[in-house]
Amino acid sequence: MDFISNQTVQIKAMLAELGLQSVNDLFKQIPDNLKIAYPDTDDGLSEYEGLCLMEKLAAKNTFSHFENYMGAGAYEHHVPALVGAICSKSEFLTSYTPYQAEASQGMLQAIFEFQSMICALTGMDVANASVYDGASACAEAILMCLRLHKDKKKVLIAETLNPRYHAVIEQYLNAHEIEIILIPVNSVGKLEKAKFLSLMNDQVAAVLIQSPNYWGVMEECKEIFELAKEKQILSILCANPLAYGLFQSAAEQMADIAVGDCQPLGIALQFGGPYAGYIACKQDYVRQLPGRIVGETSDSEGKRGFILTLQAREQHIRREKATSNICTNQALSALASLVGTLWYGKNGIKALALTNFQRAAYLKNQLSDLDNVQVITTDTCFNEFVVQFKQPLEKVLNHFHHLAIQPGVILEKDYSSLKNCLLVAVTETKSQDQLDRYIQAVRTIG
Amino acid sequence: MKKFTDSHEWIVMETPEIGRVGITQYAQKELGDIVYVELPKEESLVNAGQEAVVLESTKAAADVYSPVSGKIISVNTLLKQSPELVNQACETDGWLFKIQILNAAEVDQLMDLQAYEAMLNGA
Amino acid sequence: MDKTIFEKSQEGQHAFSLPKNSGAFGNFFPPSYLLRQTALNLPEISEIDLTRHYSQLAQINRGIDTNFYPLGSCTMKLNPRINEYCAQFPAFTRIHPLAPDETIQGNLQIIHELIDMLCQVSGMADGTLLPNAGAQGEFIGLQMIGAYHRSQGDYERSEMLIPDNAHGTNPASAAMAGFKCISIRTNAEGDLDIDHLRSLVSSRTAGLMLTNPNTLGLFSSVIQEIAQIIHEQGGFLYYDGANLNSILNIVKPGKMGFDVMHINLHKTFSTPHGGGGPGSGPVLCNECLKFFLPIPKVVKNSTSYTVQWQDKKSIGQIATFHGNFSVYLRAFLYMKLHGHYGLRKIAEVAVLNANYLKHHLAKLFKVPYPQLCMHEFVVQADKYLQQGVRALDIAKRLLDYGVYAPTIYFPLIIKECMLFEPTESESKATLDEFIQIMTKIVNEIELNPELVKSAPHNQVVKRLDEVKAAKFPILKH
Repeated sequence: MDFISNQTVQIKAMLAELGLQSVNDLFKQIPDNLKIAYPDTDDGLSEYEGLCLMEKLAAKNTFSHFENYMGAGAYEHHVPALVGAICSKSEFLTSYTPYQAEASQGMLQAIFEFQSMICALTGMDVANASVYDGASACAEAILMCLRLHKDKKKVLIAETLNPRYHAVIEQYLNAHEIEIILIPVNSVGKLEKAKFLSLMNDQVAAVLIQSPNYWGVMEECKEIFELAKEKQILSILCANPLAYGLFQSAAEQMADIAVGDCQPLGIALQFGGPYAGYIACKQDYVRQLPGRIVGETSDSEGKRGFILTLQAREQHIRREKATSNICTNQALSALASLVGTLWYGKNGIKALALTNFQRAAYLKNQLSDLDNVQVITTDTCFNEFVVQFKQPLEKVLNHFHHLAIQPGVILEKDYSSLKNCLLVAVTETKSQDQLDRYIQAVRTIG
Repeated sequence: MKKFTDSHEWIVMETPEIGRVGITQYAQKELGDIVYVELPKEESLVNAGQEAVVLESTKAAADVYSPVSGKIISVNTLLKQSPELVNQACETDGWLFKIQILNAAEVDQLMDLQAYEAMLNGA
Repeated sequence: MDKTIFEKSQEGQHAFSLPKNSGAFGNFFPPSYLLRQTALNLPEISEIDLTRHYSQLAQINRGIDTNFYPLGSCTMKLNPRINEYCAQFPAFTRIHPLAPDETIQGNLQIIHELIDMLCQVSGMADGTLLPNAGAQGEFIGLQMIGAYHRSQGDYERSEMLIPDNAHGTNPASAAMAGFKCISIRTNAEGDLDIDHLRSLVSSRTAGLMLTNPNTLGLFSSVIQEIAQIIHEQGGFLYYDGANLNSILNIVKPGKMGFDVMHINLHKTFSTPHGGGGPGSGPVLCNECLKFFLPIPKVVKNSTSYTVQWQDKKSIGQIATFHGNFSVYLRAFLYMKLHGHYGLRKIAEVAVLNANYLKHHLAKLFKVPYPQLCMHEFVVQADKYLQQGVRALDIAKRLLDYGVYAPTIYFPLIIKECMLFEPTESESKATLDEFIQIMTKIVNEIELNPELVKSAPHNQVVKRLDEVKAAKFPILKH
């Protein structure tokens, strides 16, 4: 099937008006040696057959049979039903980038509210309309800092930054001859102030720390960022935005730029995307922010309206001198995140963050009493932590899989010291019964 | 006496060493309403033809090139609050920066008003 | 709308519910020095007020579903609802990206088969679905070109040639990939100035970025010559796939001589634009460059599919996980429904619709390139400058007639231009109606130009003050 409106009758009439015999005449300027042959048969599917195909493929996925304790940058949270209802509305779903502001006030206002929401969570002065994901948000933030400090060629990155984010940063910095220096983590998954101090110097443009970090641990960034300021080093904090419902905001921690991924707020797992990266900063740096920004203004009669603004930074105007090449962003996912967050609202986000923390702390605490497992991340965590098993990981995983549990994410490939370790994420989706089942499963590893 | 570049900047020497730089009427009209002026840091060095200032309108961002080589000794701080001065008075109060020049010959080589206007008409 | 959601906050109101806390959970609290001290300034809003707010915002927005959207270079075709329906299956949406391979065979099959189908349509050897949008695809394609040259010990290739009418992401992506952008002129016929190209190609040329048909909707008559010039110098030809809708299964970019390309799934393959995203920008390439494709890769074995996270030659990662899976899932079904047969029909009718529209609009506007166009075309509104009316004003007046305006002021090289792309979705009746509307507007320009100059009149706001928004930015509540 196709979704083409014009059929033989209309096509014939239109060709006649153009003075052409057949549709092939439309392509006569293309050299014959480049053209490919017309397909012999209709190899398309009816809508029903397409639906059956997708059902068959979906049935090959067995992941939903398991209870899921995997996190590592993508978290299983309840996505409120209202999110899908709003995001599937035609006028949002099928609309274009709101360049014609007067006909796009709906989306523009929603994006303005998204920006406001990110500022409320992070405590920053300004946020953009989204970037692709947390990884590119980190990369763009570093590029921002390098533009702000053109003469500096080094950046410090915490070893406990999500390794996949780190890989993407390397991709973005590849052409720039910038030295990335890792700030090492200690045995319980935390950065040490002394290590940072020893690496700081006036060649460093920025420091990037993730908190809660990849191991789930809450870093104490404030001191480090204050020290960074003394050396004119810009501070970037990468965080799960839900954590701001419980822990200090990025502003309280003295960050200059706050980045991360909105996925935990209202965006389903979707096998990795689309998510929505956020990037927010202090007022001083607004002109270096990449991507689209919506601003408030008024019309010729003084009525309030919203419009894409500060566009002179962007690729369609600045071209090779743009702050970034980003054009299409993650607008609809940002809308999902906005509605998902507002469904919780001020008190709900606090309650959601707290219950995530408490459920994870409960499991971590219970596991610490068991003999055949050791909790590595003994300091305060948010909703994730690292445990090390006495038995080989393959055995552990098999055992859990037979109980229909995915117990966590393997860490050894990224952190060689974490042999037989799993990164365990616990969200509000895990009841006490389920957590006790997990504990029982660990007890009974053969 | 004002001298001009083919990229629509002007320079007028206030003293034998210090020149004041701005953009011409033609340039400001082309840009439209200027909303932001990114001025260079004082004490920074520029070469002739190197970007010194960025002028932003809602639809464009334009580089302003220094007509001569030298050291930026002051910038027009009024433009921070009132970027529209560049549109309203580009030849006078809307000046951009003052530069301590290295080489007077560079100034001599630039176009005078007649030559600049001829260029505009020919363009 | 009068108020933002923040301004509708009412103390104590909320929509949320949470699973009950067990008593055992209540024993745990973070140490106080880590706790947030400053207020969390999110609104307190009930479910009905939240629902109403966003439903009302939807009502003051426009999509393809509700309005004709002939935006040049954007391919605003119908976003089929069967794609939306299938993309929502929990068996797709509730999958963690690091799930073990054996639990996600359906997803891995989709990825592998989609890359295959895209390779067939583009005449390429292999590809990736990881880039999250066209711009990211461009960046990756260019990184691959750079990696190849370096692998051959060639460190001199620092320049990327780009036509002056190229989309802004082209030079921006090239700059991000560390290349110096060299601009090539367009000639009077709207084609790449091949003499200018010859004069600029050198041993420093890493490649040329091109789209064909170009941003003026014109198929280059010298594409094979261009390919030869670049290849002779050892450079690569990069294809910006934004205009692929016009040549689907009529010409393959690989056959034209292109070595690497990206596709915009949210353009050619109907995935929804979502008000600015998310999109998806798969990259396809030839045999030579495929070793550099980013990770993770999906590999087909005899009985199953596996995810490969390590690959020595690969340029590395670009997405956190597998890219915008839910987006390319829709494109997968779209391609399956059409088959190669249906894809070809798309191109035929897209080009027919564009030429039909151009034929009629030529009576109202100057058409700088009168030859047969492909899926999009440019007209110029400069003759109405006499009445003080600009392309911008015409675009705003179209909004009053319920049509989303065409692309204006792009490509930058054409004065007072409007770029139209009707797509194959639209019927003859819709196009005829649009022609009537444009005729009306032109009449208004003759008889009452003020009406057009001060448009729009019947939107929820009148023309907005862009200067104020940029000079005094208010970027949050």
